Amino acid sequence: MSSYRLHYFNGRGRAEVSRLIFAAVGQKFEDIRYEQNEWPTHQARMPLGEMPVLEYEGFKIPQSLTIARFLAKQFQLAGRDNFEQAKVDAIIDTISELALSLATISREKDEAKKQEGMRKLFTEEVPYHLQHLELLGKSYGIGGPFFVGNHLTWADLYFYDATENLLRINGTVLNRFPWLILNRQEIERQPKISAYLKSRPQTLF
Amino acid sequence: MSTYKLYYFNGRGRAEIARLIFAAAGEKVEDIRYEGSKWPSYKSKIPLGQMPVLEVDGVKLPQSMAIARFLAKQFDLAGKDNFEQAKVDAVVDTSIDLALKYVPIHFEKDEEKKKNRYEQILLNGASFFVGKQLTWADLEVYDMLDIIIRINGDILQAYPCLQHHRQEVEKQPKIAVYLKSRPATFF
Repeated sequence: MSSYRLHYFNGRGRAEVSRLIFAAVGQKFEDIRYEQNEWPTHQARMPLGEMPVLEYEGFKIPQSLTIARFLAKQFQLAGRDNFEQAKVDAIIDTISELALSLATISREKDEAKKQEGMRKLFTEEVPYHLQHLELLGKSYGIGGPFFVGNHLTWADLYFYDATENLLRINGTVLNRFPWLILNRQEIERQPKISAYLKSRPQTLF
Repeated sequence: MSTYKLYYFNGRGRAEIARLIFAAAGEKVEDIRYEGSKWPSYKSKIPLGQMPVLEVDGVKLPQSMAIARFLAKQFDLAGKDNFEQAKVDAVVDTSIDLALKYVPIHFEKDEEKKKNRYEQILLNGASFFVGKQLTWADLEVYDMLDIIIRINGDILQAYPCLQHHRQEVEKQPKIAVYLKSRPATFF
């Protein structure tokens, strides 16, 4: 049995950043995926009744970004010292604000409200956060293609993941941000990540 | 030895967790507070035009949680190893989920679940969330519940463990001093 077991639905969603971290370092893990109808029978076994959950040495850790940060630290993808980790965290938090807004609007059931919400998101909030990310990348990336310190960190992986969802909705969303485009290309080029992206399950979310 | 400056509005808000960490650790910080009217003229000097911002030896760091986690690690309030730190982070993230739902000031049935979970984690009689000593998870939960209690003072009636937890945090000598002396603000 693997030391790491990741529980989630059969989709990218809130688990994908962790899967990207495992892939980037070539670490084996049990990628457990529940179909929607299976989930209710397993729900009570999760600490907060929610997923993703990482099972590590028998202990269940909830909260997607906590899991990702823990894994990043385990595998030296979190930043080289406390201050570098803080820069990585600042980028993660900025991306997270963006991801949360998209998730909230996507869940809107009223079609008209959803359209309006999406329109506002892509004309206001998305450029706002992308601008910040481009700024931070240029500042913390010290001239290289990665967000922090001229080496791969989970900030790059989370950015890749979050923008995947944006690009599927609007393919031009990064056009005004050349640094961010180059960053994504750099991530796609990493051999282990490239192999993973080709082989991972294709899912709707 | 690093020097720290914390920039925020004149209120608890998103900076208070950092202030509580400085207080709990007995560490000094220049606690810079801008009145709403002064903020526009300073906005361009701050990395993302947002506050709080922490300046460490002249370098500016944004994002309230990144700041808090960094300080907690600097001052050994983050958890003893990576795994303990993950447990602390999980408590903090759950606390944030609770706070986010409170922005429309309703009390949803959902919140019962979250508070129940906190109770469960504490139910073995522990005073602190992780590792039998104060971490920033305790400070974060304290700060978040503070916001809710100010809106509804009875909210913890059914949660004796959380009440006990708050008393434990408030009893910490450095925190007791800080709570008595901090500015009383609307937010």
